[in-house]
Amino acid sequence: MQEIKTADYRVWADGATIHYEGTMRLSGTEAYAPVQDMMGAILAQAPAQIVLDLTSLEFLNSSGINLLAKFTIEVRKAAGTGMAVRGSTLIPWQSKSLPNLKRLFPDLELTIA
Amino acid sequence: MSESVIADEGQHRGAFFLRSFRTKIILVVVLAVLFNLLVGASISMLNVHRLSNEASAEIERGLTNANREYVVNYIETTGLRLDLVLERIHSEVDMLAGAMQTLVDNPKVAQGVGKSLVGNPKFSPRLIYDTKGDWAQNATGALSVTSVWGYLLKNGVPLPKAASTVDASAPFDILAPSMMERGAGKLQMYYVGPKTLPIMRTTPYADQAQTFDRLYPGHNAANFWDFFFPGVYEGWQEWIKNPESRPIKTSFITATAPYIDAITGKLIVSFFRPLWTADRKDVAGMTAADVTLEQLAEIVEGVRLADTGFAFLAQSDSNVIAVKSENEARLGLKIGSAAGQGVTGLNRKLSESTQAGVAGLALPSDGKTIFATIMIQENGVDVPYLVALHRLSGVNLWDAGKIRSEYLTLGFAVPAGEIYAPLVSAQNKIDAATSRIVRWQIGSLVGSLIIVLLAVFGVSGKITAGLSDLAAAARRMRDKDYSARVVVGARDEVGEVGLAFNSMAEEMRQHTENLESLVDQRTRALEEASAQILSLNARLESENNRLATEIGVARQIQMMVLPGAGEVGALVAYDVAGYMEPADEVGGDYYDVIQAGGHIKIGIGDVTGHGLESGVFMLMVQSITRALLEQGVLDPMRFLTVLNRAITKNLVRSGSDKHMTLAFLDIAGDTITLSGQHEEVLVLRNDGSVERIDTMDLGFPVGLEDEIEDFVATRIIDLASGEVVVLYTDGITEAEDESGAFYGQDLLCESIQRHGAKSADALRDGVLADLKAYIGTQKVHDDITLVIVKKR
Repeated sequence: MQEIKTADYRVWADGATIHYEGTMRLSGTEAYAPVQDMMGAILAQAPAQIVLDLTSLEFLNSSGINLLAKFTIEVRKAAGTGMAVRGSTLIPWQSKSLPNLKRLFPDLELTIA
Repeated sequence: MSESVIADEGQHRGAFFLRSFRTKIILVVVLAVLFNLLVGASISMLNVHRLSNEASAEIERGLTNANREYVVNYIETTGLRLDLVLERIHSEVDMLAGAMQTLVDNPKVAQGVGKSLVGNPKFSPRLIYDTKGDWAQNATGALSVTSVWGYLLKNGVPLPKAASTVDASAPFDILAPSMMERGAGKLQMYYVGPKTLPIMRTTPYADQAQTFDRLYPGHNAANFWDFFFPGVYEGWQEWIKNPESRPIKTSFITATAPYIDAITGKLIVSFFRPLWTADRKDVAGMTAADVTLEQLAEIVEGVRLADTGFAFLAQSDSNVIAVKSENEARLGLKIGSAAGQGVTGLNRKLSESTQAGVAGLALPSDGKTIFATIMIQENGVDVPYLVALHRLSGVNLWDAGKIRSEYLTLGFAVPAGEIYAPLVSAQNKIDAATSRIVRWQIGSLVGSLIIVLLAVFGVSGKITAGLSDLAAAARRMRDKDYSARVVVGARDEVGEVGLAFNSMAEEMRQHTENLESLVDQRTRALEEASAQILSLNARLESENNRLATEIGVARQIQMMVLPGAGEVGALVAYDVAGYMEPADEVGGDYYDVIQAGGHIKIGIGDVTGHGLESGVFMLMVQSITRALLEQGVLDPMRFLTVLNRAITKNLVRSGSDKHMTLAFLDIAGDTITLSGQHEEVLVLRNDGSVERIDTMDLGFPVGLEDEIEDFVATRIIDLASGEVVVLYTDGITEAEDESGAFYGQDLLCESIQRHGAKSADALRDGVLADLKAYIGTQKVHDDITLVIVKKR
């Protein structure tokens, strides 16, 4: 099980499910590289479905949203791997930004509950 | 200074010697040997002591038993001898009594014998009346003296009965004188008639009546029995009536207490034997013998135990009747006189002795010999005496007018030291032997210790020599003499340590010698490192400068593309106010107000990330917006689609992975068309309510996808005069207060409502003031952008 952990946030993978927790306000794409690498490594294993669990991610800045969007495009391009994104209605940014992922990849299962 | 150092060193050496390994070895071995020797010695000494004690005890037991046995034998034998002497006298008195009794029992024979003797002046004394004494007595020269007292005379002539008694007792002269000559030593033997006729016939002849007159005045005026022996006659009469009243059943002999003979001055005892009438109903006088106690005293005084042990003979009242005069003093006896006796007695009782031990002696109550150890003071010193007491056979004793039983007690007294002298000598010899053994034991202990000490001293020297060398070498090393080495002798652990020490010393020497060059090397390395750090630092500085420059440039671009105050304020139908405050480093917000012909386009967006790339991205968006507008592309959907395509392609070329949210308000006359995806658009209506328009379905982030035509839509916002459209970026809604809580749309709406009546500028300032108050001292994370469009 891989894990990236700081005082503000925690990202860990459990099989093909990636969990995000806390507040991610990293400055720029470079800062998100470790998270990006972790997600890319899971995609490289070509699982049937990758699940992004964002239900505990209180905040994600625009660079982070950009990361999710780019990753969604990558998954879409990689044939054979599905994707599911789980969000929470209690967290404002998710209702605002996550539908765009569904637009980028119409087969993506988006659940905001 | 140097002296004190040397002194200190000397002390150190001394202490070192005390603590040294060798000293410890010696101590351990010596202590172990000492312990063993002491334990061994203690055990053997203990045993020797016990042995000597047991031997002493055994000898003491044996000697004590032997001594006691000896003393018992001696005292009992002596007692037997005394009894025999007394028995012999008793027998003689009994024999005389037997003969006299025959005469009493056969008066005719007595008369006959008497008559036959009459005429023979040797046997038939002629009584001569003494007018002065008023008594009649035969003249000297006869075998016996016969006294007839005044009360038995008439006109100086004996009464017929008295004369008849004198005649009848004549055979006494045949028997008694020969008995006097033989047998036990006696002073005299005599016959006394019955109480009615108490004539007295005594052998050998003496001036009897004369002596009585001289010594016992008044005797001729009283009955002989009552005067001389009151009570004895009655006692005998009682025996006849009541045989049980006789104290000693085996004998009729009745003794007197010893008394001093008035004539001889000797201590004498009289032994009486009563005679009975023929019918055995009354007393008919007595036969008697006086004996000195010399015979008894001879036996008693002849006893000799150890050096100065002696014997004594005491009556039952503890009156001592025989003891050597020098021993009388040892026993602490005092001589008093016995009052109330018919004759003068003697009194020197043990119970009145000045010696407490003697006074406290209890006489035996039966024939068993008893022992006592008492203290007798001699010259102020308490001397222990062993005393043995043995009771002799009993005798009837006339005493103080009564007849009672009397037992003499034979006593032996001997200083314990004398009788136990062999024991003391044996114990001394045992003690001497014990002391000798102990001396030898101590001597051998000390000797062994010295031998062990010498051996250990020698051996330990060899054992610790290596260690001493090592210690010395180590001290030299401590004093910075790194040439110190030890000679490795033995191939043991000490030898191994020596080898290790030598190699260590060699290493230290090399290290010391190489230290300087080492310091040089290190210094050079440090200098090099320092130079590297300096250059790195310089590089870092330039890098920082570059970054700062880049951020500066980006910010400049960001500010450059913003509309001028003239552009914004020059609108006729709308009162527009814009505001942007870039955050410290994050910058990506964009807004624009462009007028082309009668068309006003107001844009608001947020580029991901910051820095030069974001600035360039913004510049591209602004340029393309201006270009398309100048080109007359007024359809919002087409406008956004083309703009997106141009940007996306440019981003691909530049390899940038940024994107941007972007929304536009197209104002043409009274119509406001909203397009593009961004934050909610807020519309403050004249009734005070705030309409919140979601833009999610009106577009798509710019720069992600080439073709976003399908996602783009428009929405018409009808705006009455005084109503307000508010555009903002997430820097406002996601601003945090000190607890980290977001500002949010709700607070923003309330703020807008509060300030809604004001002009666009004032409304903007009011909202910003509320926001600033909310943020307080909290860090601003993101750019804050606010655009107010109020219809005039």
